[in-house]
Amino acid sequence: MALNDKLKETKCVETAWGKLIPEKECYDFGVRHIAAFCANIFQVMRILEPDFEKRTSAICDAAYMFNMAASSDQYLNGYYNEWNIPEFCEKSAWLGAIWGDSGDEYENMAGRVIQFTRDRVEKELDTCPWDIVGAELCNMTTAMFTANFDLTSKDTQNEVCLNMCEARGCGDRHCRVVAERRDVTGLPKQGWMDHMNQPVFDVHNTPNERTVKEGQILRNGKYTNAFGEEKSFEWAYRWVMEYGWVWCVSFPLVAIRDMADEDEFERILKIVFATAGKNEFMDPFSVKGLREYLGVPNEIGKKDARIMGSYIKFLLDTQLVPCEFTAFLQDEVRIHVKADDFNGRYEMAPLDELTLGYETLWHNAVKTMVDPEFSVWFENKDTDDMEIVIGHKIDKRMI
Amino acid sequence: MLFKEDKVARAEAMAVRNNVGWYRWQHDLVSITGPDAGKYLDYICVNDIAGAGVGVSKYTTILNDEGKVVDDTIVTNLETEYWVSTLYAPRFAKWFEKKSVGYDVQMKELTYEIDMYAVQGPNSLSYMNAILKNPIDELKRFRMEDNEIDGIKVKIHRSGFTGENGYEIYCPIEETKKIEEVLRNNEKAFDAKELRTLEVYVRSLPIEKGFALRQDMYGLSPYECGLGWSVKLDKEFNGKEALLAYKEKGHEYKLVGIELDPERESYEDIAQNEIVYHKGVPCGVVRQMIYGYTVDKNIGFAIVEKRFSENGTELTAGTNNAKITVCDKVFIK
Repeated sequence: MALNDKLKETKCVETAWGKLIPEKECYDFGVRHIAAFCANIFQVMRILEPDFEKRTSAICDAAYMFNMAASSDQYLNGYYNEWNIPEFCEKSAWLGAIWGDSGDEYENMAGRVIQFTRDRVEKELDTCPWDIVGAELCNMTTAMFTANFDLTSKDTQNEVCLNMCEARGCGDRHCRVVAERRDVTGLPKQGWMDHMNQPVFDVHNTPNERTVKEGQILRNGKYTNAFGEEKSFEWAYRWVMEYGWVWCVSFPLVAIRDMADEDEFERILKIVFATAGKNEFMDPFSVKGLREYLGVPNEIGKKDARIMGSYIKFLLDTQLVPCEFTAFLQDEVRIHVKADDFNGRYEMAPLDELTLGYETLWHNAVKTMVDPEFSVWFENKDTDDMEIVIGHKIDKRMI
Repeated sequence: MLFKEDKVARAEAMAVRNNVGWYRWQHDLVSITGPDAGKYLDYICVNDIAGAGVGVSKYTTILNDEGKVVDDTIVTNLETEYWVSTLYAPRFAKWFEKKSVGYDVQMKELTYEIDMYAVQGPNSLSYMNAILKNPIDELKRFRMEDNEIDGIKVKIHRSGFTGENGYEIYCPIEETKKIEEVLRNNEKAFDAKELRTLEVYVRSLPIEKGFALRQDMYGLSPYECGLGWSVKLDKEFNGKEALLAYKEKGHEYKLVGIELDPERESYEDIAQNEIVYHKGVPCGVVRQMIYGYTVDKNIGFAIVEKRFSENGTELTAGTNNAKITVCDKVFIK
């Protein structure tokens, strides 16, 4: 009988309720969650520094400095080799555009390099998972691009004039970064707040019918650079779950932490994440949607810690964080996750703010998702025995 | 990307098609020496390298053990050494290390010692004769010989990647600025143009003439790429057994030319490796789309299942269902 011996295999995350969520959907979800965490961190920043220009310049400075410091000649040579950049392609500032293009596609910022010549580079994006964060982040990315360009420049800094002339974070249809060589255009050296201007030469505006909704790695299962080198979807997923946290959370946090003392920073962070958490499942249909998405059976009632537990487990699975249930009961769920795994998505730059932020976010989300009688807290923080607990807790000063 | 309206790119392309254009065209370059150099290269290349006389160069692919293309190169016999131009010497070096066991050969990378410029177009011979000490009217295609430019010793190779008559100038890297100056100083007399748009000379001009890059052919057999002419089955070469078995079995895929629907202005939503569909079912991938200024069309290469490789087959590419038509890989003869 001509029947298949087995079904075609596709990688998925299995929810606690046995529902299978395809790997690509998990990646999409995971990336957007990094952006959402970043959006919360930026709210903290806005409270601590009310002046738009001051706070934007501060995070630009930090992002530029770290991008520059993170790279050495050895790193760059490795990069040239990895990307098969041929000798006829001048190793000048323009390679920064190739660098940026790969990062965009790994992070599902779907678009295209419109122009790549010695004097001008134009990159247009149709989508950006970070388009919910706000204009400061759009500005900050220009500082990172400046570092990419400066790093690959032979001997000068600010060889190019770099403008994000459209930004989805500012409500534009596209994101568009244009780099124009200063010695050709005669443009002046830019300060951090000068990067949102219009370029000298005309841009190419891709009409809606020829735009894309997903990056190459989702559309085609891989990213291919201009020189034919490829990175798989799997590789890109891992990459963004490490570096995604670094550029949009670690880098700005260096500047944000300087905006207040530690106690004040933590107080504001908790307020912001608590508000975000409470609002996350405020609408009754959002809980219905979540139950459907995770495959929570009808017989599981409203007041059940397992709903929150399965949500957190799914979130961590999509973020590729190793974790496991040690209890999965109606009144108590425990998820074991090593602190180093939870905070150290990128091993060299662990983020303690992840514990602080997520503990606050989930503790408040459970109030609207499940019931105010439930709380979420972390036990054995900073150890290999860390556990995320969903259970009952009474605190007369609970916020 | 290249667009129809790009006047700069069009002017650069037309300079090569109708007159003469020049550009830095430095490839990675390695030298193979030793008593077994010819024998070794003959074994790793599908083309007849052993039969190449002094000063003769040959285009060839290099196959992996499975008979699939891993690189394509020009190999030149310079009597005391062979030059192998490749897009990526570090990868070639790994290949060399793996495959040179038992051969008395040495490899040295010349990439950072020798620079290269391309002079291409129907008037390239006159342009070259104007800058060279000795005229090269008699230099045949795929031949390399010594010459001088402004007292600098150079090697001139009659070859190129544009499909036009053309030459390549190999010079010591420390003299590169002087060579560039000579090329630039002679532009006016010939109305020649320096090409500065990478995509024009790496993709647009070559694709119009059916020239693919290694990345377009990677993982295919030379037969699937239309390079059967370069495979010499009367000698031994790496991957031959697998290639023959594959040939016997019949090819699954073919590298084909594609034309974008003329109603569609451009190809912003079609990246390299964009999926190609037949009636909504995946049947291949796009290798490259580009605007060809001579044919005035959006053209490219795709790898498609052999059953969909006939000229005139209508397919779609990408998530917006861009209509593409399979056509000859050579867009202009």
